Amino acid sequence: MKGFIGEFEELVLLTIASFGNQSYGVVIKEEIEKRANRSISIGALHSTITRLEEKGLIRSWLGQPTEERGGRRKRYFEVTQTGKVGLHQMKKLRDDLWSVSGINLELTK
Amino acid sequence: MKRQANPPRLADVLFERFCKNAQIEDLHGDVQEIFHLNLQKMSIRKAKCIYWFQIISLIFSYAVKRRKQNAQTRPYASASFSFAMLRNYFLTASRSLVKNKLFTLINVFGLAVGMSISLLVITFLSFIWRYDEFHVNKEDIYRIISTTRINSSERDWASAPLFLVPQLTQNYSGIAEIVRIKSSLNSTVIYNELEMELSGYYVDPAFLKVFTFPLVRGNSETVLEKPHSIVLTQSGAKRIFGDTDPMGMTVSLGDQEYEVTGVLLNHPKHSHMQFEALVPYKNIEQLYDDSYVSQQDITSFRNEYVYLQLATGADANRIEKHLNQFAATLSKPDNSISFELQKLADIAPGRPLSNSIGPEWDLPSLSGFVFVALLILLPASFNYANISIARSLKRMKEIGLRKVMGGLQTQIFTQFIIETVLIAFVALGIAFYIFSFVRYEFLSMLVSADAISLELDGRVVVYFVMFTLLVGIATGFIPALYLSRVDTIQAMKKRPAKSTTGFGFRKSLTVFQFALSLAFITSMVIVFSQYRQTINYDFGFDQANILDVQLQGVDPKLIENEFSKLSSVSDVSFSSHILGVQQVNPVFLSYNGGQDSVEVSHMYIDDRYIPNLGLTLTSGANFTGDPSSRNKIIVNEEFARTFGAADPAAILGQTFLINEGRVEVIGIVKNFHYRELTEPIGNFIFQYSENEFQFANVKVASHDIINSLKEMDRVWRPLGGEKKFEAKFFDVEMEDAYKYYFTFIKICGFLGFLAITISCLGLLGMVVLTAEYRTKEVGIRKVMGATTSGLVTMLSMDFIKLIAIASCIALPLTYLFFDKIYLRSQYYKLPIGAIEILISLAIITVLGLTTILSQTIKTAKTNPVDTLRTE
Repeated sequence: MKGFIGEFEELVLLTIASFGNQSYGVVIKEEIEKRANRSISIGALHSTITRLEEKGLIRSWLGQPTEERGGRRKRYFEVTQTGKVGLHQMKKLRDDLWSVSGINLELTK
Repeated sequence: MKRQANPPRLADVLFERFCKNAQIEDLHGDVQEIFHLNLQKMSIRKAKCIYWFQIISLIFSYAVKRRKQNAQTRPYASASFSFAMLRNYFLTASRSLVKNKLFTLINVFGLAVGMSISLLVITFLSFIWRYDEFHVNKEDIYRIISTTRINSSERDWASAPLFLVPQLTQNYSGIAEIVRIKSSLNSTVIYNELEMELSGYYVDPAFLKVFTFPLVRGNSETVLEKPHSIVLTQSGAKRIFGDTDPMGMTVSLGDQEYEVTGVLLNHPKHSHMQFEALVPYKNIEQLYDDSYVSQQDITSFRNEYVYLQLATGADANRIEKHLNQFAATLSKPDNSISFELQKLADIAPGRPLSNSIGPEWDLPSLSGFVFVALLILLPASFNYANISIARSLKRMKEIGLRKVMGGLQTQIFTQFIIETVLIAFVALGIAFYIFSFVRYEFLSMLVSADAISLELDGRVVVYFVMFTLLVGIATGFIPALYLSRVDTIQAMKKRPAKSTTGFGFRKSLTVFQFALSLAFITSMVIVFSQYRQTINYDFGFDQANILDVQLQGVDPKLIENEFSKLSSVSDVSFSSHILGVQQVNPVFLSYNGGQDSVEVSHMYIDDRYIPNLGLTLTSGANFTGDPSSRNKIIVNEEFARTFGAADPAAILGQTFLINEGRVEVIGIVKNFHYRELTEPIGNFIFQYSENEFQFANVKVASHDIINSLKEMDRVWRPLGGEKKFEAKFFDVEMEDAYKYYFTFIKICGFLGFLAITISCLGLLGMVVLTAEYRTKEVGIRKVMGATTSGLVTMLSMDFIKLIAIASCIALPLTYLFFDKIYLRSQYYKLPIGAIEILISLAIITVLGLTTILSQTIKTAKTNPVDTLRTE
């Protein structure tokens, strides 16, 4: 796999996965803003999406135009097999780390 | 839903303009959808604000950048930088350089010539910028500088009146040390009966504490404590004592004995203070006691300097303000003074100040120097750009192919920049060679050359490399931009792109270059002719065959006796100065009974001097040679006019007071130039004396100069003892006195040479290209019956016109410059003739024509069969 997955990239990747094949820029942005309670700019989001696509973790296609988009088409995204493998590796790595360090991470003493 | 609310149009237009033909439909749609969502949550104004913010975030985002690249290029394009491509650029560049040897040579050599003088400037400036860096306390050292306003004329001084010092010690806080310096310790030291000139300062003991001038011998706390102690630099000590240990030795200075208490390490060259000896200030303190200070005029403080070391963190502005409050109490309406604290780092290089203590390199003349370097470098750079653009057709296919294969505009730009940088580095090699040639020549032209070192060190080498990179990038910028912007299809068709830098630009460049060269050459020729005219000017006295022998303390009577015996000597006279060469001493002379004294130039001679030098007595008589002549003077016509009023002759027999002695005028001589021609003739008097002489003026009758000199040397030896026979012919000394003309001639000549080399190279490049492009046209013309001479004229005419225009611009400007500015500084003007202008015009025309004709004749002579066959 080409390159590592960054924190924000992982967030975007998981969000895209949560929508199946129905995710596009606006819904990804709304979802992340709602769940992570942080405000992101569309430029930053699309930069990350472009990088993910270059790394081959997602694929995209153009959809139908709608009125509130000024008659412009949507671009839908979907996680590729490579992307899924990457996410699994990431999760495994985290789980492993949690299992060895869990005892030290307890919040109450 | 608020249907009427639309996103800001301007933002949309801006975004679409910015993205050009990139695929951004989905991005734009996203922003707009967010806008409509926002409208339900907030006011229209706020939603529009957010819309703007989102558009801007997109403009700067990687997403749009990437899509723009994808839109612009072919599928093979890659924005990432790879070393394989870098290697390829070097390879292509060196191949193209080797393939076009002539143009490479023109470019490399032109740039090298242009850069050589810049290297000189870089070395020079990097040295100057290190001035006074070696002082440990440099951050806290300040010098008090003054500005005087006398009758509304302002003048800035590096010196400051010493009466400030008691003020500073009593009234101000925040000053750690005060150092007074009097730089007038320039006198003769006597050691073992040997006399030597020594330059140095009177300083306060704190001098060695404030400034970092380390001692090799002696204790810095005490060396300057005792009044009659002297501290020498290593080189000063070596000069006086040779290899003997100087510590504890005594030397006489003036009429007092001084004991050497310490030896300083030779101070670095980059110090604005240059001295060989330090003497405690106490020695002259009695001269400047309270009565002196109170009387002292606030406008006379020559050679007196005040340096301060402030306590760390003290506010210089506050002290400056206090000083100026004090200064205000001293000021009178037509005569006022103000002070400033100048940081040590700002002294050299710094503002131009009068009466500076050492070399201070004022900024205006330094920038003039940089300007001259740019004047030479820029035409060389333009030449390169010019030739590269004109030759761009040759590279069109390559550029087209690179673009088809996915080469981005920035990549092609980089390629040509790299090519230029490569050329610049080859040029650096040659420039360095020229630089090491002219380096010492340049040093010898500077006044304070011993305060300058042009040796290379690591720092300068880094500057050279950086400079070359800069030159490469700056020079290559325009051609690289031009070539990288070429449209792919046009490039593949080998059609030239629309010219942004057309023939008009190239023409004006050639005109500018030739005008510049012509200006330098004309200046050189004019100054040379001025020099010739000055030397041959009728100064009013004879210079030929007069040998000036330095007496060096030998009794004039003995010399006269011995020299008169020689057959080669026809006459001997004595004088205290040499006319026309040396500055003669002024004395103050007052009219009988009058209060006001007048400054007159004054010189001691004997009775033989006037006939020996061929000066003409208009009335009165010469000195008689007996002691009664001592209180007689002979004046010049100017003097007679000033003091004799209506009838100059009435001055004869009148008496004046000089230095408390009464003198009588016995004769008047015709005016003559006793100073350089830049100065007017003023009041001048000859006074008779037997013991003030410095020179014997020997009139040589024989034509065999070498033998006469040998004879005189033989006669001198028993008289002079250890001292060498020092003699110079008067006319040679005259020439020496005007040596500075040669400095100017050399500088102008060198710059002219550089400028003309660059111009001719540029011209050569243009002519070769034109001839190349017009080969076919010439072939057809020849077939149709054109003659070779006709073709040469046709091809050359364009360029000859340019040179003619350049001459029309440069000649009047140079003439005006010399007529209005240079000659104004000369009191006795020597005319600038048409000859000088014709000579320089001839030089330029010959060089220009040679360049043009060498190519055009070749083209015109080619066989039309060869050029037309290959269609």
